[in-house]
Amino acid sequence: MVTFNNETRELAVKVVYYGPALSGKTTNLQALFQKIEAKVRGRLMTIDTKDDRTLFFDMMPVFFKTAAGVKVKLKLYTVPGQVMHESTRRIVLQGTDAVAFVADARRSEAGPTLAYWNNMLRNLEANGLDPRTLPIVIQKNKMDLPDLRDDDFADLRQSANAPVVPAVAVRGEGVVETLHALLQLTYREMEQRIGLGSRWRIGEREFLDAVFTHVDVKGTRLPVAGGAS
Amino acid sequence: MTLPASILQQPMPLGDLLDLKSFGEVCQSFAELYRIGIKIFDAAGNKLVDVKVGNADFCGYIWQKPDGRSQCIATVQRVKGEPVAEEATPTIFDCFSGCRYAVQPVLYEGDVIGRVVFGPFVPDDLVALPSSLTSISADFDDRLAAGYMQNIRRVPRATAEKVLKHFAEIIDVLVFSGHKNLLTARLHIEAVQESYRELQDKNLQLQETYHALKELDRLKSNFLATMSHELRTPLTSVIGYSEMMLEGLGGPLTAEQREYLQIIMEKGESLLQLITSILDISKIEAGRVKLVLAEVDVATVMRDAVSTVMPLARKKGLRLTWQPAPLPRVQADREKLRQCLINLVNNAVKFTPPGGAVTVEARALPGERVALAVADTGIGIPTSHLPRVFDVFYQVDGSSTREFGGAGLGLAIVKSYVEAHGGEVAVESSEGQGTTFTLVLPVTARGTAVGPAQQAVAAGVASGAAASTSPAAAAG
Repeated sequence: MVTFNNETRELAVKVVYYGPALSGKTTNLQALFQKIEAKVRGRLMTIDTKDDRTLFFDMMPVFFKTAAGVKVKLKLYTVPGQVMHESTRRIVLQGTDAVAFVADARRSEAGPTLAYWNNMLRNLEANGLDPRTLPIVIQKNKMDLPDLRDDDFADLRQSANAPVVPAVAVRGEGVVETLHALLQLTYREMEQRIGLGSRWRIGEREFLDAVFTHVDVKGTRLPVAGGAS
Repeated sequence: MTLPASILQQPMPLGDLLDLKSFGEVCQSFAELYRIGIKIFDAAGNKLVDVKVGNADFCGYIWQKPDGRSQCIATVQRVKGEPVAEEATPTIFDCFSGCRYAVQPVLYEGDVIGRVVFGPFVPDDLVALPSSLTSISADFDDRLAAGYMQNIRRVPRATAEKVLKHFAEIIDVLVFSGHKNLLTARLHIEAVQESYRELQDKNLQLQETYHALKELDRLKSNFLATMSHELRTPLTSVIGYSEMMLEGLGGPLTAEQREYLQIIMEKGESLLQLITSILDISKIEAGRVKLVLAEVDVATVMRDAVSTVMPLARKKGLRLTWQPAPLPRVQADREKLRQCLINLVNNAVKFTPPGGAVTVEARALPGERVALAVADTGIGIPTSHLPRVFDVFYQVDGSSTREFGGAGLGLAIVKSYVEAHGGEVAVESSEGQGTTFTLVLPVTARGTAVGPAQQAVAAGVASGAAASTSPAAAAG
């Protein structure tokens, strides 16, 4: 769960990239690693016990201070996509504040995508998280491939009203937009729940700017941080 | 359901991220290389590493003076606890002795998880011992102290900062790999525990389902036992009255009436037989069968069984024979043994096409045992079905359009009865050639009842059935 420690003025946010195997979760994190300034992020940690295949996930911390001196600690995780890593998926999902569901945009992948979505709903529930209130963004990845579905994931969005962001993660396209959309939702959820703006005087603009001034937004659909949107 | 808090959710103290012994060795060699002492503290102020180089005599001398000691303690407190900028450049602390400390926070993932204290070293611009030191006591020996200070390295500030920066980079790598190893190990355990918990949940569910099914099965067996008994009672009357009419007790009959009555009786008998099988199997399943043991002449039982099935075999055009052999008398339940043989011979007749043969044989086996075999030249049983033919309700051909009738109970009853005697059953078959069923019985019955015997209940059922088999009594 997102925590805001008023004493130290620290905000910790956990973001998990979820999705089927080979949908592009690690690719997202690698692209962000390239685009986020080195001084505000740690190393990209990949944990992979190759022999018994119990664990497999990535983690990258991002940390910075807002203009008002609030320290924001963002931790980005991927879950292992392979079916056998079920328990790791559930553990990584624990206490998450937002989920980027990385889905393959191809028609042929619709079946596995829905299966993983439902798997995620079950694992969220196991962690006491409600998919109807948890900020979730669906990334429609691999938009450069043929045989794209044209339904914008109506089957997935029945259970959670998540916005869809198109992407080609291997080329870094849509990756920053996905994180932006997700953090915007996360801010709004935190505003509702802990009054980030009204109580702690951290505005949405300020929060998002604080992240995205350290991100290379060239070639994205996002305005340069600090500018009018 | 909620999972226990994962290590991913917990803050990591610096001491857990480093292997302190080998890290201490790194610090030691680093300190020796630069000839400057190093201390490492975690975020809570616990000292993890302390390497002293060159300052022992100097500081020891100061420590002897009460004022020196208290000021020394104060300096250490400042160096250890005073906030420092969370930046890549170190903060400099001046000691009252003229020495200096450079302090650098250990940053990881944006958090301060500890600090490196570098020193004491002598600033290269220090020309004489400061008065803050020389004034700590009246008997302070300047020359002695200055001599001790020679052992402490003189370092320009820029060098100190460079060395410290280098050291911070090493720590960063060590902390990262330590963190990675720790996460891998601990998460590995968590993942296994979580998988185990999941398996246990599933096991529990399976167990509950199993118990529910077992209870259902028990209820079903009870129902079958009750129903079979209830069905048998009126059926015996149907058969009995038919018999009475056939005997002319109800007046003379036309040839047609006689034929119809005979059909009624015949069908009634086969229905009764079927119901009896069901009753037997439900008794077996409910554990209510008790053997009534006696010295039995196996040959008599064979002859008896063969003659019972003979009319059926003749009607079908089969050769049914039995081979008498010198055999010891066997301790067994005569009625149940007879039923076993009848079931097997009946089966053999049923599955053997016209013109075939069914043979019943017996022979003595070593180890005080007797084998009874029923062999036919029938259709045989496919190998894949052999292991299951003795299961209750099992039919080799389970389709609704199957050629041969039967409830799938005969062999199950045989197996239960034979095993109750401490014996065993076996089957051999080759498709299209024929089948041989063999019963092996110990000469002295070792077995007890099937399941927990309740003789009183069994006897009650038996006497009830016997009473109602007499239609004359019912009529009278």
